[in-house]
Amino acid sequence: MRIVIAEDDALLREGLALLLRAESLDVVGTAGTPDELLAAIDAHRPDVAIVDVRMPPTHTDEGIVAAVEARRRHPDLAVLVLSAYVEKTFATDLLAGGAARLGYLLKERVGRVETFLDALHRVASGGTAIDPEVVAQLFALSRQDISLARLSPRERDVLALMAEGLGNAAIAERLFVTEGAIHKHIRSIFAKLDLAPDERTDRRVAAVLHYLENSHPA
Amino acid sequence: MRSRFDVRAEVQRRARLALDGVERLVGGLGTAMLALVVLVLLVVTAMAAALGVGLLVLPAVLRAVRAVADRERARLSRWGPEIIAPGPVPDRLRAALADRAVRRELGWLVGYAPLGLALGVLGLGLPINAVRDGTFVLWWRLVPAEFATSSLGWPPAHSWPGAVAVSLLGVLWAVVVVGLGPGMARLQAGPGRWLLAPDPDADLSLRITRLTTTRAAALDAHATELRRIERSLHDGAQNRLVTVAVLVGAARRAVERDPANAAALLGRAQDAAEQALAELRTVARSILPPVLADRGLAGALSGLAVNCTVPCRIELDVPGRCAASVEATAYFVVAEALTNIVKHSGAEHASVTVRRRVDRLLLSIADDGHGGADEHGGSGLAGIRRRTEAHDGILTVTSPPGGPTTLEVDLPCGS
Repeated sequence: MRIVIAEDDALLREGLALLLRAESLDVVGTAGTPDELLAAIDAHRPDVAIVDVRMPPTHTDEGIVAAVEARRRHPDLAVLVLSAYVEKTFATDLLAGGAARLGYLLKERVGRVETFLDALHRVASGGTAIDPEVVAQLFALSRQDISLARLSPRERDVLALMAEGLGNAAIAERLFVTEGAIHKHIRSIFAKLDLAPDERTDRRVAAVLHYLENSHPA
Repeated sequence: MRSRFDVRAEVQRRARLALDGVERLVGGLGTAMLALVVLVLLVVTAMAAALGVGLLVLPAVLRAVRAVADRERARLSRWGPEIIAPGPVPDRLRAALADRAVRRELGWLVGYAPLGLALGVLGLGLPINAVRDGTFVLWWRLVPAEFATSSLGWPPAHSWPGAVAVSLLGVLWAVVVVGLGPGMARLQAGPGRWLLAPDPDADLSLRITRLTTTRAAALDAHATELRRIERSLHDGAQNRLVTVAVLVGAARRAVERDPANAAALLGRAQDAAEQALAELRTVARSILPPVLADRGLAGALSGLAVNCTVPCRIELDVPGRCAASVEATAYFVVAEALTNIVKHSGAEHASVTVRRRVDRLLLSIADDGHGGADEHGGSGLAGIRRRTEAHDGILTVTSPPGGPTTLEVDLPCGS
């Protein structure tokens, strides 16, 4: 896996590179500014870009803007965004282009190396990785949504884990139930969200997107 | 014993009050003369206007009245409760003449021009006469006989008893100054206090407007300060702590595979943790340097000057206190500038001037070093600019090659 890291804090950038290289991952470039990030992506064509939200010059959302631009230029690029805190509008800005090959994690998750590597691999292989904290906050906002309100608490748990980007087996493991039970829950979720079987759309992605979209503050 | 001290204290108090009174009367003489000039101008213009010419000049004359009145307001505000100036004079003559503040100013002008002038002349003349006549007995024989009279020109003093009488008259003048001076000053200030203060109704709304704007400014200053703190926490200490987490995570993974590397990673993690602590300390200090809370701006800046290895002179003229965040910024700017001077300037002397002008705090930090300070050279100048501009302040750097270097910082006080 070829990786570019964009993080304006030099020490943290080096720490991340050190960690990933120790895991035999290929860090092909590092960047301290949005421009350096775009240049590195153009030059090295990585599989994944790990991007800090706050970058110079204003330290607000430069990282998100650069990530959106990078995905526009290279639609295959997987992006894993690291954020100092949960910022829902940033997450939804990114998700506007679809949730595939996208991750949004709080910075401190990086220290849990297994979880972090898992998220990284998931994103690189076309999946999604949303921080549980982000999902929880989105959930708190989505209580008013009528179709989501129809879900049972258990179904919500399942949907939340789907939104985090976990597969059925992983969800079953987290919730200590069988995969068959998860299948049943998911079918029920699809039904309650009026997602009929359809050749053209992935109902699973549609359910997650529905969930995330309805989590927007009105 | 005690009563003697009381008498001495009382005499000192009276003398101080008398001096104060004289100073105010003489100050009032200045505005009274201006008032007289403008009054004459006004009468001439009004007569011309009655004849059909001069109508166009009248608004300008009204603005001149306002200018003199503002001078008197500022003068009275220095001696007592502040007199708030009204809004601008309306541009159109009809509106201007209907404006209550303008009418009150015209009333003041008519009253104050003669009264202020007369009292001002007395305030200036009485002390001079007191000194002249009081010392008459020492020099009356040295002047030609026609000058040898009291300051009133009477009685002529051609003998010792006459000279002594004149000197006693001088003492009388002095007594008059001590006894009546403060009262005369109050009388002179009367028309201004009465007619230049806004209407009680207008006063309140003006006050509210003023308080609203200053309060908004203070809130703004606090908001920018909070943003700055939030940023230094997220971009500094938090990143250090994330680095710690990353390195510890990496070390945990390395423990079995490569114990030597794990130890190295833990060492780096520890460094990062220490840096996180240092950054937290810096953030805490930058919120409110403890010395500022303990000793105020003057004390804190003197402390900086004393600890500066380049001899540094501090001049401070800041009545009252500014918002805490503004004082903290001023302190930070001076600290950073002095560090720069020590590190880069090669200067032998430095000076720091801090003044307050109405609602601005003006800092000037100068040195006699070799100049050529460069904001992009990694010096603390960039930090000073960031900190200054976070408070909507203005930084001006003058540093020609060869020196000297001057930093001017202009900060809104937010209070």
